[in-house]
Amino acid sequence: MSTFIKDFIEKETISRRNFLLASAAGLTTAAIPGVFGGGAAQAALTDPAIAWSYRDRASAYWNSIVSGGEAFVESIGKPKDFLVNLINEGSSEKSLADIKAFLAKTNGNCAIACDANDSPNARPVAEAVQAAGGYISTIWNKTDDAHPWDFGDNWVSHMSWSDEKPAEQTARILIEAMGGKGGIVHLGGIAANNPAVERLNGLKNAIKDFPDVELLDAQPADWDTQKGAALMSQFLTRYGDKIKGVHCANDNIAYGVIEALKAEGIEGMPIVAYDGNPEAVQMVMDGQLLATVFTNPHWGGGITAALAYHAAIGSFKPSEEPKEHREFYGPTIMVTAKEAADFKAKYLDSVPTYDWTDHWGPSNGQIQYK
Amino acid sequence: MAKRLLTYENAVRWAPLLVLLALMLLFTAINPAFLTERNLARIAIAAAPALMVAVGVTFIIIMGSIDLSMEGSISLTAVLFCFAFVQFGGTLAAGAWLAVPLILLAGAGIGLVNGLVHVRLRIPSFMASLAIGFVCTGAAILVTGGDIVKIDDDVFRALLTWRILGFPLMVYVAALGVVVAWVILSHTRFGRHLYAVGGGEELAHASGVNVGRVRLVGFVLAGLFYAVAAILQVAKLGQAESVTGANFMFLSITSTVVGGVALWGGIGGAWNTLVGVLIVFVINNGMVVIGLPDYVQNGMLGVLVIIAVILSTDRRSISFVK
Repeated sequence: MSTFIKDFIEKETISRRNFLLASAAGLTTAAIPGVFGGGAAQAALTDPAIAWSYRDRASAYWNSIVSGGEAFVESIGKPKDFLVNLINEGSSEKSLADIKAFLAKTNGNCAIACDANDSPNARPVAEAVQAAGGYISTIWNKTDDAHPWDFGDNWVSHMSWSDEKPAEQTARILIEAMGGKGGIVHLGGIAANNPAVERLNGLKNAIKDFPDVELLDAQPADWDTQKGAALMSQFLTRYGDKIKGVHCANDNIAYGVIEALKAEGIEGMPIVAYDGNPEAVQMVMDGQLLATVFTNPHWGGGITAALAYHAAIGSFKPSEEPKEHREFYGPTIMVTAKEAADFKAKYLDSVPTYDWTDHWGPSNGQIQYK
Repeated sequence: MAKRLLTYENAVRWAPLLVLLALMLLFTAINPAFLTERNLARIAIAAAPALMVAVGVTFIIIMGSIDLSMEGSISLTAVLFCFAFVQFGGTLAAGAWLAVPLILLAGAGIGLVNGLVHVRLRIPSFMASLAIGFVCTGAAILVTGGDIVKIDDDVFRALLTWRILGFPLMVYVAALGVVVAWVILSHTRFGRHLYAVGGGEELAHASGVNVGRVRLVGFVLAGLFYAVAAILQVAKLGQAESVTGANFMFLSITSTVVGGVALWGGIGGAWNTLVGVLIVFVINNGMVVIGLPDYVQNGMLGVLVIIAVILSTDRRSISFVK
């Protein structure tokens, strides 16, 4: 048996035993850090391995995240493939298992950037990283009660994007294009996803100010082009001419909506989207979409890896940073017809070079809980 | 003296169609807009690519095997189709039509590999096709790098936008596909061999049927139909990406079974699959059209699928279900 596999099994056995012992004592969260002496007393790591754990390579969004991660590892003089890709394929179990395997392989000498796939998975991931003495920075998914500062220095930071305000802004642009009256349908993301909830809330907030605007229906299209197309055609049967505007939770859904309308020979329907993918920006320039919102995944991918790495090598000590440096919002940029050409030239045609040691520059304030 | 019409066999045979009609009546009663030509065309557009996938997998299910490669196969052929289309000029008139036969060949090729792995390496069809599907998905991600490939040709998109009697061209293409499948299954020697293999492989072998070759051709045909589905899907959405084939596995196999094609082989045909696909898409469309809340829709789909299967399969003749 290779030493790697042997090491891995040993690690797994040890951590499982600890987990059992700790569970027996009813102190899972508190006990594991105790067993390993806690994060506070750790020395900085030298030359830690770097990994990005994310959903898949099949979308522009995650590719952009990874390109940022690669730009960062290149900035510290490593080749692109120094960045290890841990792809969870939408499975939280795989996400956690991959990270545990990576921790075992590197003996905890690592910096991990991660989207935990769903909110409840963030805590076990952070616990595993802390137990192994590694460093992790997360984005998007975590529960409201889990905070990086409860995990010493090991959970370096969490970045999320508050989508409510930008989604409200796109809704206002939409309503303006509708002349301030008429029916809107919303095609949402996977119902339980945080951003899906926030983007719908943004629309609802905007509608409150317009008594002549009605939200006809809001249903999940699961972030998917195909489902977007099918759902839009079903809305057309149910509401017909009452639909005067379409609010989409992301760009992919909007592509499907546009095609469903094309099949019916409907042109010029006001549509707004979200994510700022290259195709969508082009559609904004062509007038097929009114607006989309860019969250700069390239910067997000780079800076998340950079935060974990610099905390790991001791460039800064997370526990000495203020809370707005541990939990913060990422940047959002509104893209409408007015700014689409400039935006495309600046962010899409050429990728800006970022200073990866400016950890919090473009961020957007501390995360607020309701 | 006419034969008795109301036999158990007849009831089972016509049950899927009756379920379909009952569902349509139900949805129309709640919202008359359901039974408009526009909405029926919408259902047909949504169903056309899935119908081709389901017809493809019908060949495999009839011979008692299973094919799970469709998602990867469709993603890869759809993506390759878009690349080839753009490469050959980007419009049908400029020579991009060459992409069509090329992709049909590619689809058949994937099916052939599938069949060879299954028959020659003696790997169960379940595992062989699943693995080939993964390989195809990976290849699709590799060639696209996760990006979307778009086709912008109004002549090709006429499959979606050009309507005859209220239905777009792609619906007729899919209908033609069903007829072809029906002819193959019901009026050729190969079709009878498929049923023979599905009904009892040892018996078919003992009767002189080259079981290995029948299986191979079955997988090639399935791959061919998946490629047709991929082309229709691109016509429908104007784009392909590495997730273009997502969801087709569950959708096609469910539809096939709901229509009365038995998973243990030897029973059913192209018409069963057509009715099954329509049942699933009528349910999907109808639930939104009558305004069912989204959180009930999935549960409802599950319940209706079970009811449809109970009604449409003759389960007396089998001693156990696995």
